[in-house]
Amino acid sequence: MEQGMTKYVTSFRMTNKMNCFRRFQPEVEQFGLTHGLPPKAVFHLTLCLDELVTNIIDYGYADFDEHPIDVTISLDGDCVTIRIEDDAEPFNLLEAPDPELEVPLEDRLRPIGGMGIHLVKRMMDQIEYARENGRNILLLKKRICNECFPEGEKPA
Amino acid sequence: MALIESKENEIIILTVNGNLDAEGTQAMEEKVLALLEAGEKCLLFDFSELDYINSSGLRILVLAYQRLKKSSGRVAICGVKDYIQEVFEVSGYDKIFPLFRDREGAVSGM
Repeated sequence: MEQGMTKYVTSFRMTNKMNCFRRFQPEVEQFGLTHGLPPKAVFHLTLCLDELVTNIIDYGYADFDEHPIDVTISLDGDCVTIRIEDDAEPFNLLEAPDPELEVPLEDRLRPIGGMGIHLVKRMMDQIEYARENGRNILLLKKRICNECFPEGEKPA
Repeated sequence: MALIESKENEIIILTVNGNLDAEGTQAMEEKVLALLEAGEKCLLFDFSELDYINSSGLRILVLAYQRLKKSSGRVAICGVKDYIQEVFEVSGYDKIFPLFRDREGAVSGM
């Protein structure tokens, strides 16, 4: 841990053979409760983890073996960082095409293509991707203060 | 996740209770496909007790929309919580699906 900084960290390992949602959902929930995160932020973090882990499991592996997926959630000031490390095929979501939001639904070639990634990009403030030693390392950052007064939702 | 089905004025109302995670979404997909197969033309998803949805859950709504559009059917959603409403807005689906505040409004407005 960094010197002199208040940083809260939760780490856990899942595998592609588990029901991952059942594993990480209570972790995120507990992390939110422990550190007083707004429920909406907890939902965003859960949704982003869900979309990314589902992507990894559905599209990431060329074999049928069991693979680890390591997740670290940390809170540093008002910034939550989720780190996901996996040994799946290289996948840089920053280069993934956006869904055809402007095309009418019935004309879209891939009706929901990339929607999960789109949700992640919109709900997170900063995304970094690296491929290191045969692993995808994804860092997702979210400022919690943005959540206190969501856009267009002013108190009456 | 619990899925409750009812019918009002030819509208099938699916009330989804709890989480539409991978498991819940699969159950809902099977139900929706069975209803479409049975020739139902009007689907209302009551999400007032829905706590969680992801892009796979949205995909089922799109599937129902696409199938029913061909047969002049309708799909609507009611009662979404504000943080789930945001998922509809971010995905652009708030412009595709009529979103009603409550079931009564949806049944009379569909």
